[in-house]
Amino acid sequence: MKLILTQIAQLLAALLALYGVLLAVSLLLVPRADVGERLDAARAPSSLFLTEPKYVFMTRGQLNTPVDKAILLGASNMLAGFKQPQVQALVPNLEVHNLSVGGSNIRQVAQIVDLVREVQSPEARRHNTYVIGLWYGLFTADRARWYTPDRHEGDTDIDIERYRYGFYRRTDAGAVPLLPPQELGLGVLLIHPYLVLDRTARDLTRSLRNFMAAKSAPITDAQRNAVVLSDAQKRKYLDFWRDYTGGADKIDDTSIWVLNRLIDAIVAEGGHVVLVDMPIPAWHAQGSSLAANYRTRVDALLPALRTRPGVSVLAMADTAGDDDFSDEVHPKPRVTGRWAARLAAVLNPSSSERTTP
Amino acid sequence: MAFTSLTFLAFITAVVLLSSLWPTPAGRSAVLLVANAVFIGSYVDRVVQLVPLAVFLLVGYLAIEGVRRSRSAWSLWAGLAVILAGFIVLKRFSFLGESLTLPFSYLIVGLSYVLFRVLHLMVDAKQGELPQRIAPLHFFNYSCNFLTFTAGPIQRYQDYAANQTRALTLDEAQVFRAFARLIRGFLKVGVFSAIFNYLFDNMSGRLLDATLTPSLPVFCALVVASAVFYTIYLYANFAGYMDIVIGVGALMGQELPENFNRPFLARSFLDFWSRWHMTLSDWFKTYVFNPLLTVLARRFTSAQAGPYLGVVAFFVTFLIMGVWHGTTAVFVVYGLLMGAGASVNKLWQVVMTKRLGKKGYKALAERTPVIYLSRGLTFAYFALALSCLWLDMPQLLSLTHRLGVAGVLACYLGLAVATGLAFFVWDALTSAVASWRVRASAAAGGVIARNLVLAFQVLLIVTVASFFHKAPEFVYRAF
Repeated sequence: MKLILTQIAQLLAALLALYGVLLAVSLLLVPRADVGERLDAARAPSSLFLTEPKYVFMTRGQLNTPVDKAILLGASNMLAGFKQPQVQALVPNLEVHNLSVGGSNIRQVAQIVDLVREVQSPEARRHNTYVIGLWYGLFTADRARWYTPDRHEGDTDIDIERYRYGFYRRTDAGAVPLLPPQELGLGVLLIHPYLVLDRTARDLTRSLRNFMAAKSAPITDAQRNAVVLSDAQKRKYLDFWRDYTGGADKIDDTSIWVLNRLIDAIVAEGGHVVLVDMPIPAWHAQGSSLAANYRTRVDALLPALRTRPGVSVLAMADTAGDDDFSDEVHPKPRVTGRWAARLAAVLNPSSSERTTP
Repeated sequence: MAFTSLTFLAFITAVVLLSSLWPTPAGRSAVLLVANAVFIGSYVDRVVQLVPLAVFLLVGYLAIEGVRRSRSAWSLWAGLAVILAGFIVLKRFSFLGESLTLPFSYLIVGLSYVLFRVLHLMVDAKQGELPQRIAPLHFFNYSCNFLTFTAGPIQRYQDYAANQTRALTLDEAQVFRAFARLIRGFLKVGVFSAIFNYLFDNMSGRLLDATLTPSLPVFCALVVASAVFYTIYLYANFAGYMDIVIGVGALMGQELPENFNRPFLARSFLDFWSRWHMTLSDWFKTYVFNPLLTVLARRFTSAQAGPYLGVVAFFVTFLIMGVWHGTTAVFVVYGLLMGAGASVNKLWQVVMTKRLGKKGYKALAERTPVIYLSRGLTFAYFALALSCLWLDMPQLLSLTHRLGVAGVLACYLGLAVATGLAFFVWDALTSAVASWRVRASAAAGGVIARNLVLAFQVLLIVTVASFFHKAPEFVYRAF
């Protein structure tokens, strides 16, 4: 037994020494990530964190301040539609952070809210205004969205980041933090070599991975503004969403329940919620039975939510025509200024209401 | 309990430390009993799910004891029939339909390997190689040894018993070797198998995507790439698992048999199977091939028929071995391909030996181009045949229909030539750096250096694990 324990001790010592050297070298060669004062998940690809979920998970520690904040949440249409710098410029009294993550459904949005709450003091939570972009894709059922062969059953993209570096432990009751949330900064420092290596490896293998995933090259804003969709492309998009949402033609009741519970939790802590009714092209809305069911459900739901203290609703249907979308769901860059102004109009009074005794 | 989980690491740490705390045969047996129970219990939610396995073990034990006492042929055949029937029902072979299905979910992991051990004991009992009754504790610890429960290696009972009667004594070098083996196993599973699994998933995803319609050459390339990635993934996964259990076994005083011996050096299909899943091949050689050949030799006594009897025996043996891998029709195809590979290989040996003589055939086989072409042909055949393990029957039919005979041949020959060349280049490179490797090994011999090497491997495992969402499962668990 002594020999085995000695060998374990020697191995652990070697691990510590080697990792210490790697940490020092990585910090010397690549400085720690500077994400700026305002968080914007759209900047994730150019950061050390690479992906939106990892960016949101790792950077949220700086939200623990007693300053009024608008925290934008949702899927990729919230990233494409509400550019953080544009919105920030119009609401100088608030810190604007865009923590939207592409491919999110409402469960993942709720998880991001939980991640923010766990690093904030009760006082800081009172200063949050969560802007949640609603559309039918956000209500994709967990079974269709998160049960894929490449992940543990039901793990969201945020869950994957929770477990990736051992910050959380998987249990039958869900994710349990191993690293106290208050020590997130230390955790990010300790995994610096991995962040550097991940970034380097992904940069080096990008072409190969794009080939394997059959991804097309990214397009510029100018190209995006000029997009005109063919009927064949529209059909392909409709097929994609039918498949993506598991062929469902009704919104899952659980998703609505998660949204209600999320609003309850935020408001109970003194926070505010702005629900943005995100538009999609008419051809998409008319071609999807799930979108039609969503419209029925949400038209009944939003008036009731609007009456609740701390909750506002922003209708966006009139802000974009079919020609204002570069694909089936994302607005063209030329539209985002208009959208930012619409959101700012809601955020500014909300902010003054909150700060007025 | 997944082999790549922290739970398993904690489990084996506890078992190894407890085994060394009670190093006597009785102490180690007691620790092993508890470890086996905990390990198997980790696969189920309810005790009732263990009942079929428990009944299977009990029937097996009674059958072995019955055969051992009577040593009669009829008791052996009766025992074999009962055990095989029970196995087929419990494994839910698809040809049974729904008629003989138990009405609840239960544990089937490890059943195939329990079967091998029970059959081995039954035959050995008949042959008088089990002079004494096996104690139930030893039977359970042998047949359900957590190290070999899931997918082998298939250890002989006599070897297991010899290990268990020795007191555990370890020296520093043995401990380090065991740790190095264990970490090498995790390296194979966590790094190489994870990477090739990722590549395989992506490539086969494109291959099986009905919305994509690539040209025939691109389709062939996708088939070949998927087959190669799956083969390397399977090897790294399975050989890594073996390294893990052999390393842990060494720390517990269990000397488990090796299951792999650099299979991609194989120059023929039969050579390949003497290097890949060796304990399975040995088992089939002992309990299927040899008895079958004996029966055939008794029936066909002509000297001319002699060499061809091996062809038939190989076909039948490999057919059964292939079919054993699964319960659906595609595994019959796999069995036929394995049988065809083995019998054609044997036939080639017979014909070429007749034509060139033993010396001439040996001289031909030792020519460098022939060596690498043989290695390429062997690898290509095995890799393409393995497609049966990742395709279902409709997918296999659709794929072969799309390829046609010309496409299949192009895939096979193209892959054979490409891998033959790759092996040649690899061998040239490794021999070029051989002296450097020797110097590096010598330099890494000190306590600090050798532990830094291990630590580097551990960091590599953790690094790759952080890249992927999910650690690769142990693939042979399914067979």
